[in-house]
Amino acid sequence: MSAVAPQTSLGVAAMARVREDVVVGQEIVRHRLSSRALHWTVASFFFLSLLSGLPIWTPIFGWMAALLGGLSVCRWLHPWAGVLFVVSSLAMFLHWRRDMRLLPSDREWLRPRKVVQYMTHQGDDPDVGKYNGGQKLFFFATALGALGLLLSGVVLWFPLTFPRLLMAASILLHDLTFILFAVAIVFHIYLGTAALPGTFGSMIRGTVTKAWARLHHPGWYRDVTGEGTRRT
Amino acid sequence: MTQQTLEIRRSSASLWGEKTGMRHLPVVSKYIDTTTCIGCKACEVACQEWNDLETVSTQQVGTYQTMPTLDADFWNLIRFNEQEFDGGVVWLMRKDQCMHCEDPGCLAACPAPGAIVQYENGIVDVNPEKCIGCGYCETGCPFDVPRFHAKTGKMAKCTLCVDRVSVGLEPACIKACPTGCLHFGTKEDMVALGNSRVEQLKANGLAQAALYDPPGVGGTGVVTVLAHGNHPEWYGLPADPHVPLTVRVWKSVLRPLGIFAIFGSVIAAFAHFMTEGPKEVKEAEGEGPRSP
Repeated sequence: MSAVAPQTSLGVAAMARVREDVVVGQEIVRHRLSSRALHWTVASFFFLSLLSGLPIWTPIFGWMAALLGGLSVCRWLHPWAGVLFVVSSLAMFLHWRRDMRLLPSDREWLRPRKVVQYMTHQGDDPDVGKYNGGQKLFFFATALGALGLLLSGVVLWFPLTFPRLLMAASILLHDLTFILFAVAIVFHIYLGTAALPGTFGSMIRGTVTKAWARLHHPGWYRDVTGEGTRRT
Repeated sequence: MTQQTLEIRRSSASLWGEKTGMRHLPVVSKYIDTTTCIGCKACEVACQEWNDLETVSTQQVGTYQTMPTLDADFWNLIRFNEQEFDGGVVWLMRKDQCMHCEDPGCLAACPAPGAIVQYENGIVDVNPEKCIGCGYCETGCPFDVPRFHAKTGKMAKCTLCVDRVSVGLEPACIKACPTGCLHFGTKEDMVALGNSRVEQLKANGLAQAALYDPPGVGGTGVVTVLAHGNHPEWYGLPADPHVPLTVRVWKSVLRPLGIFAIFGSVIAAFAHFMTEGPKEVKEAEGEGPRSP
């Protein structure tokens, strides 16, 4: 994370294109343009994979196939969408891995008691940096999930190339990984929108208010603004 | 596949209402007597001709067998097996094709609605119009029958000549058999015929003779008389075939749980929002970090 930003004549939007973790007026740039573009690239390929995969998973979602031109289109499209999803996920992983390094305080954050406190909006951790333990866990869990989906997906893509037992195992692995992934994404979307107002904007325009940063990521706020005691 | 739309009993990837069942038809079956099969392969040719399948290159595998295994363009294969028995060798021939299970694993595994159907008369058929060529049926079949057709991108297998059967004819393979080791009729009649043949074989010294109609898949639409009924694997048949556990776990456990989990997580998020509400920034907080 960078230190306090030099005051420049650049506007918020312009600053948010090139740098993050800098203060611009009453706002702080949380995600620069490249970060946001990567996130939405991954999200787009995720939803393309979802739309083309769900109708193959169960006929309950059969109507989704119609959006893409039928189930045969889905069968062709899904593997390619999945590959693009995994490739963009890898880029995102590399892009964010430094910020996501697990610290002892993250382990502390992830203790069940703390998680319940977080969920009930009690007892904020004053040391939470740019990402809290839950966000880091989500980051690594989805990276692992993407890997699992890729490995099992390749087997299902070419049904004749692999032994039957491997194919059967891959169906189960692909299913199980997807279910966990989908549940994680539901909570990811909820936390990124309705649950924590001000968060969605950080992934659209790239900025958050100072007050938002103080509330949700006080450690990061101190690092970025230089205000208050620095985290040790 | 012909569109036997009035006679569908079960259909793949269907939730509700797949059964049309306007006609009530007796369940049919092939009867194969391996003890009178002479390995002439007339059934292989008849199958190729009637179904207009492309010619597949034969492959020398060290026996009289036409090719190592079934093919998307070769649905009926006589398997030649040599087996050491009682100090000598027995030469076992068996007609291999789709077994038309009462409880078809291919249909259970198939994700494409209506791509695999089971008619009222028990015939299990692929509808290539709806097949997406994913190959999941392969993992569901305990007999390793469905094959992916690389040229069409669809799965293919024996239809039990449903087009012939539905107009009152017997399947092409049965029609062609010169020794009478193949018969076709209602399942009931074929089982009765098989049992009487088994009794005959037992009376002639083949004490282990048995009729192969495996209960693990609810019985099959092909009943096979085996002289060595205690060793179906000698004929390349699984001793106790079932729809694989992986398919059952996937379709009956994992998938419902998954649907429940996904909708459940949406409901949980909504419930959390209603009870805890959003965690909002309080503007009146004032400047500066909150004290730890």
